[in-house]
Amino acid sequence: MGLRRAGRIGLRVLGGVFVLWAAATLTFFGLRLIPGDPAQAILGGPGSQASAEALAAVRAEYGLDQSIWAQYGLYFSRLLGGDLGSSYSLRTPVSEVIGAQIGGTLLLAVLALAVAWAIALGLAVWSTRGGRVAGVVGSGLEIVAAAVPHFWLATVLVLIFSTTLRWLPAVSTQGPEGLVLPVLTLALPLAGFLGQVMRESVLDALDAPFVLSARARGEGESGVRWRHVLRHGALPGIALSGWAFGWLISGAVVVETIFARPGLGRTLLNAVQLRDVPLVIGVVLVVALGYVIMTVLTDAVSRVADPRLAVREREQERVS
Amino acid sequence: MHRRPAALLALTAASALVLAGCSAAEPAETPSTPVAGGTLTYATGFGEPTCLDPHVGGNMPQALVGTNVLESLFSQDEEGEIVPWLATGATVSDDGLTVDVALRDDVTFTDGTPFDAAAVVANVEHMKDPETASSTAILALGKVAEVTAVDATTARFTLSEPDSALQESLAQTWLAMESPAGLARGMDENCAGPIGTGPFVFTEWVQQDHVTLTRNEDWNSAPEGAAHEGAAYLDEIVWRFIPDSATRFAALQSGEVDVIDEMQPDNVVAVQEAAATGGDFDVLVGALPGASIRLELNSGYAPFDDERVRKAFIHAADVNPGIESLFFGTVDRSYSVLSSSTPFGASFESEYTIDSDLANELLDEAGWTERDAEGYRVKDGKRLTVDFPISTNQSIPAEVSLFEQIQATTKAVGFDVQLHPLDLSSWYGALAEWDFGVTSAIYTKNSPDVLRILYHSDNIQPAPSGYHPNHSHVSIPELDAALTEAGQTSDPAERAALYEQAQKILAEGAYVLPLYDHLSKIGYSTDVQGLSLLPTLQIPYFGDAWVQE
Repeated sequence: MGLRRAGRIGLRVLGGVFVLWAAATLTFFGLRLIPGDPAQAILGGPGSQASAEALAAVRAEYGLDQSIWAQYGLYFSRLLGGDLGSSYSLRTPVSEVIGAQIGGTLLLAVLALAVAWAIALGLAVWSTRGGRVAGVVGSGLEIVAAAVPHFWLATVLVLIFSTTLRWLPAVSTQGPEGLVLPVLTLALPLAGFLGQVMRESVLDALDAPFVLSARARGEGESGVRWRHVLRHGALPGIALSGWAFGWLISGAVVVETIFARPGLGRTLLNAVQLRDVPLVIGVVLVVALGYVIMTVLTDAVSRVADPRLAVREREQERVS
Repeated sequence: MHRRPAALLALTAASALVLAGCSAAEPAETPSTPVAGGTLTYATGFGEPTCLDPHVGGNMPQALVGTNVLESLFSQDEEGEIVPWLATGATVSDDGLTVDVALRDDVTFTDGTPFDAAAVVANVEHMKDPETASSTAILALGKVAEVTAVDATTARFTLSEPDSALQESLAQTWLAMESPAGLARGMDENCAGPIGTGPFVFTEWVQQDHVTLTRNEDWNSAPEGAAHEGAAYLDEIVWRFIPDSATRFAALQSGEVDVIDEMQPDNVVAVQEAAATGGDFDVLVGALPGASIRLELNSGYAPFDDERVRKAFIHAADVNPGIESLFFGTVDRSYSVLSSSTPFGASFESEYTIDSDLANELLDEAGWTERDAEGYRVKDGKRLTVDFPISTNQSIPAEVSLFEQIQATTKAVGFDVQLHPLDLSSWYGALAEWDFGVTSAIYTKNSPDVLRILYHSDNIQPAPSGYHPNHSHVSIPELDAALTEAGQTSDPAERAALYEQAQKILAEGAYVLPLYDHLSKIGYSTDVQGLSLLPTLQIPYFGDAWVQE
């Protein structure tokens, strides 16, 4: 049994490593197969055009004059040694760039996730207990929220809260007030998604036999909802949170650009535009790693929230 | 050169617009005394430089932030005439091959290093050093063989051939003077904060967020034409990077930032209308020097290797209605390859008439006689397709819409224009491979010599070497001769005649479709006073600016 568990963990680690390798490799070839010359981008930028000599020098400096396989081999042998390389465009080690930018993005993602959960839970509870009208309104809100694109939501929020009401800054500031609009932009659509799946499973749970027996034991309505129904209803939301993390990072690209916030999303966007291969792969690896970690975490949280999972696994082991 | 009344009217309107923009910024209109102190926040949409030293690479983002820290040998006045800055003047030898530049003797870099001829030598060597990876400066110094220090205040430029644009080139921020001690720190350190002689000093750079410029208390080297001498009024400029134009405008309106660049045409109009009735914001508009925004027709490859097909395209592409509606009257149609702020521009409006009958006739003559089911012309089984790569970094949304209108109007005579919106690298890639029929490229240079860079046959280098500013693939010995000669002579009348001849060849051969000036559109809060555009590159200049309480 111990061996089995070790095997399971080992497989999971291998799977994670495979995900990282695949993400880096796909990114490498993806970036090199789309048209565009990194050397031109390194020297160029709006309003300038580089000389042939300068281009040749840059190509030689970054090994861009070698075959794509040679570049791939070179890059991965360095990567295995733990070296993410140096950014073409910023002339700084990739690890330093990521280290400087990751904090802002993580803060944004974590806060957005928390706010999304709070909104989704509140909406799920309210709309399932408030009768037919609340149900229709709740599901309507969720569908609209889930369908709204980030860039549109951001522009509308800025128009309302910055330009018209002047309550909140349109661009990021050092203080917490600059975080409100970016977090809301990311959290609202996510809350729509989470709310949709949670409300459905809350409704399922309300009809479930364990709710009936809890009521039979004489538990009050709020006790039933918070202790039993929500615990059940939150399960798909927890499972979705791993996915949501990846989704939040992609949303960060838009939100960080619109609100002019420093962070990995904006770094990634600039790096892709400049064909800055090491920096793009560095960011992709970090995001993929975060995704793998989040998946493991949501797995563990699911187990705590749903003891049936562990029971089922134990039974499987006993049988085999 | 005949101008129609309409064009004259447009010209008057254009100058009125520019004047309206300028006068509002000048202290004369709102009589108030400069106040020292305060922080000004500038939000740029041009992007964040990857290196603050404009010698390295050399693009607009670097020039914008660098102009307030690094100063040049020369400046230019409103008419484009050279005026002194760090240099007091220049003497050109009779053969035009030796230029002695006289320097000020009382200027010091902010690290204490004196500004002298040795510093000029160090700077030119730095720009020409391949290790520096300069693209703009090295090109501008192409004819400079060597620079030596004759004495402390005389730098001698020895040229391989006469260069009438040398002083104009030296006026650009990309060729600004930096402390030799600063340069000696090496590229990484110098990129993070080059040291100059200007009104402000680079003090902080938080990547993807802002650069802080702090006042240089000892500043004594304002360019000629500046409103005052001695230290700047502002304590500090916070230079923010806000890529999204809607956010930038919202931040200006909500008072989070004081000055923004790259304003969209609809916002310019809204602010100007509000300003007319005493609004809190105003706009500075200036035409960037160099080439106008124009379509370059790739004459090296089919289908535009046939002059008749180029002419048909130009007579079919009805751009005027689009320019009027999409830009809300903020720009005027140009019929010149050169920007209106660059001397020696010549307009040949009659070459650009809209005439679909003529266009159809020309296409028939060129053998594109059949049409397919969708109405596009066909020859030998091939459709009349024109690929149009668009750089979304350079073309604002209104411009992309204008290109869509060109696509629609040329379809009527049978052109299949394929628009390809691309990011910067992909766009460069398409250009390098000559994989386009028509494109629009920006070239900012404060000299008519830009024509030589764009249209001399030397500057067509076939792929894969990559670089060819001559996107039209123009190769005409007569044109080459005129451009070379114009670049060497310093006689204004002769220069004017040669540049007019060159532009006439381009217009008559239908290589280029001029559209309008590339405008610098700066929005600012009216609390900001004394703001102006430095004529050389139409860059906002803060040496005389202050913030009113």
